[in-house]
Amino acid sequence: MNTLLKRSSAALGLLGLALTGCQPDLDAPQADKGTADFSNYVAIGNSLTAGYQSGGLFNEGIQNSYPSILAKQFAKAGGGTFAQPLFADNQKDGSGYLNFQGFTATGSPILLSPGQAGNTRTYQLAYTGQSLLSGERQLVAYTGAQPNNLGIPGISVLSSVSALTGGLAPYGLLNPYLNRLLTTAERPTVDYLTYIGRATPSFFTCWLGSNDVLTYATAGGVASPTNPFSGLTDTTRFGQGYRAIVRTITKNGTVKGVIANIPNVADVPYFTAVPVATAIAGIKGNTALPNAAQASLYIRTGAGTVREATSNDLLTLTASSVIGTTTTGVPLPVGVGYSATQSNPLPSQYVLDADELAAVRTRTTELNKIIAKTARQYNVPLFDVNTFFTTISKNGIAINATANSTSFISGNLFSLDGIHLTSRGYAVIANEYIRVINENYKSSIPFANPDEYQAVLFP
Amino acid sequence: MNLKYLLLAGSALLTGTAASAGGFQVTLAGQKNNGMGGVGVGLSLDQAAMFYNPGALAMVRERGVQVGINATMARSAFRAEYGGTQRELRNSTVTPFNLYAGFGPAEGKFRAGIAVYTPFGSKLQYADGWEGRYSLTDITLESIFIQPTASYAITDKLSIGAGLVILAYGAVNLQRDVPVQDQQGNTGHVELDGKADNKIGYNAGIYYKPSDKLSIGASYRSQIDAHVKSSNGDVSFSNIPASLSTRFTAKHFDVTLPLPATASLGIGVMPTEKLTIGLDANYVFWSKYKALNFTFDGQVGGATTSNSRREYKDAVTLRLGGQYQLTSGLTVRAGGAYDFSPVKDGFVTPETPDANRLGLTLGASYKFGEHFGVDISAQYQDLQKRSQTQDELIANGTTDRIAGTFKTKIVIPGIGLNYNF
Repeated sequence: MNTLLKRSSAALGLLGLALTGCQPDLDAPQADKGTADFSNYVAIGNSLTAGYQSGGLFNEGIQNSYPSILAKQFAKAGGGTFAQPLFADNQKDGSGYLNFQGFTATGSPILLSPGQAGNTRTYQLAYTGQSLLSGERQLVAYTGAQPNNLGIPGISVLSSVSALTGGLAPYGLLNPYLNRLLTTAERPTVDYLTYIGRATPSFFTCWLGSNDVLTYATAGGVASPTNPFSGLTDTTRFGQGYRAIVRTITKNGTVKGVIANIPNVADVPYFTAVPVATAIAGIKGNTALPNAAQASLYIRTGAGTVREATSNDLLTLTASSVIGTTTTGVPLPVGVGYSATQSNPLPSQYVLDADELAAVRTRTTELNKIIAKTARQYNVPLFDVNTFFTTISKNGIAINATANSTSFISGNLFSLDGIHLTSRGYAVIANEYIRVINENYKSSIPFANPDEYQAVLFP
Repeated sequence: MNLKYLLLAGSALLTGTAASAGGFQVTLAGQKNNGMGGVGVGLSLDQAAMFYNPGALAMVRERGVQVGINATMARSAFRAEYGGTQRELRNSTVTPFNLYAGFGPAEGKFRAGIAVYTPFGSKLQYADGWEGRYSLTDITLESIFIQPTASYAITDKLSIGAGLVILAYGAVNLQRDVPVQDQQGNTGHVELDGKADNKIGYNAGIYYKPSDKLSIGASYRSQIDAHVKSSNGDVSFSNIPASLSTRFTAKHFDVTLPLPATASLGIGVMPTEKLTIGLDANYVFWSKYKALNFTFDGQVGGATTSNSRREYKDAVTLRLGGQYQLTSGLTVRAGGAYDFSPVKDGFVTPETPDANRLGLTLGASYKFGEHFGVDISAQYQDLQKRSQTQDELIANGTTDRIAGTFKTKIVIPGIGLNYNF
């Protein structure tokens, strides 16, 4: 019996040895930089580049910006350090962000801003208490190392180059995000074009231009008379500005990078989350209204006419909290009407009507032609985000068994403001940049796993 | 203590693994056969003929009882297309089991017997946090079949046999993460746990031995649809955010999994009295496995069904093995098998990370005296490295699984005891 035990323990030992050798190994994927040099990657762009999400810029968003995710992947192929303009730890929530408190009885998400009644979240904000010329609240200045992520929420091509507006609107005094990156002395004089000219990238990404159409679109096609950057930027000045930006960041075509174009605004949940048909059904189903079946949603168009809304009009996300509210002295709730004359039309800023939408689309196409031509001129590959978002708004994008779509809240890609992406959405964008880079620079940068980045967190 | 209770009590042991044959089939039914590349349809080695070819049972000289147990140890590596860290399994060992008892008159033409075996099964536990967690984190699939068998020798060269194949116990446990997170970042999880209905199928075979040096066999085992009905299938969720509770209301599930039919042909060659060589071909009708469709009695993420494409294709396994009697007590065995995967490119799932596989086997038997013998066997299986891309998954409508590269190796030692009279 003893010998049997000894023999079987020897056999078990051998078996263990065989098993240790049994674990298969797969070679790690090659991460090759190809003809590109990622040692000093610099990102220029707007809020989408800065990592803005859920209506604000804050440290977690900045850390999960697509340039930050790209830099992590670049680091596997010779990429260098990537500095970001973070807020101080005790002001980590920056400008604040929307808090998702739950759903209403009818299934609408309850989204509350910092300080809004009922918001139970405590924020560590980074406001100085002062206001800028634009009326926006000033943020505490960033004093760390020269950042690699130069994304400025709100910036457009028009506002990047002060010469385009005759130097009359110093953007460093208007935009809190550019303001915080500049010294007090620089703020009235240094425009974004000058600011990015100081960077010495070995590789860059440039995703600018969205705000040249989006600011107008999100305001329901209403340009503010006091804000020179709130309309649709004309093609002449856009072309001048865009070429100047690309000339500057490429150091006259000598620096490699990727240029991304302007997405179609109608693909974002801000304009799709509240379909006109749903709003009309809500009105017709409102038993408090007399003869509700005859009622419908009436809007005031950008041209000033009052008419019934159609499926060609897009309601803004903010419209849902306005439709059905009461206006003093008006018998009908907001948006409700029986005819053009018997109605309380939804104000123009809550609807991108069919004509405005067409104007935005036409201008987006024109600006994207300028972007593509400029990219060709400077020999920089183009990431066609416009086509990419149109495709995923139709088909969704599944990665690692997670179905993602452009749906509001449930689609994982768009954050609570319906315009900006979630960390997961930014990872998906980073992967598309990687695809373009690998195709054009003979590199093999590995993809990020978007599931490692958070989508909407549910209460 | 009735038989059913006994089997249930032992169910933790009685599992196979996807890893031991194509798809989730397990062919470890006889310890002698296991040492010979799994051949047996054209041979009449021992009581395990009830599984391999019931027609050959009447030609098995001895009557007796035999039991066998195997330890299937699978080791996998995986790298996702999106996120390239190597992931491995939380290692587990599963133990497919077999038991046979054969009776009949010593010199008669008739044999009967009962067999208990585990022809389908799977157990895989993926590493925590692996990239495919929204497809699968854990699977356990268990089945126990009981097969009363009868065989009759029409002449001394030709015999036939058949068995009733009873799915006596079937259990499934599937777990995956749900892609929703609460505000603390916890990820949702769902577990499906069910027991299959008892079902009856059959197997049948014919065996022809024209000379001392040659034998031929053919056998067929019918398909059985393992069905978990709603009252036997439990759904449980964990870590679902409170605000989404109305979208995760399911308590029960219903699912049917086809356990496909197999047709086999085998040839035995005995050049000398001491040497036996077997050659088998199995044809498994996997193409019946089109989709895995769950129906729920409530919502799972806002849906009440889940449909996942499988689209398996029929698959062939080729086997070659032999045994040589070294001394009056000691017999040694060796063999090999090549298994063509039923899983098409772009359809690989984490629950069956299948690929074409090569198996190499060794075995030996030692007889202690007249009646008692021990069989040992060892198998090594090497699954081809297999990759699929997200583009393939999108093209196939199979984005409910993960793109990347799988590689699996398996070691299966086994031991059997037999008592003949």
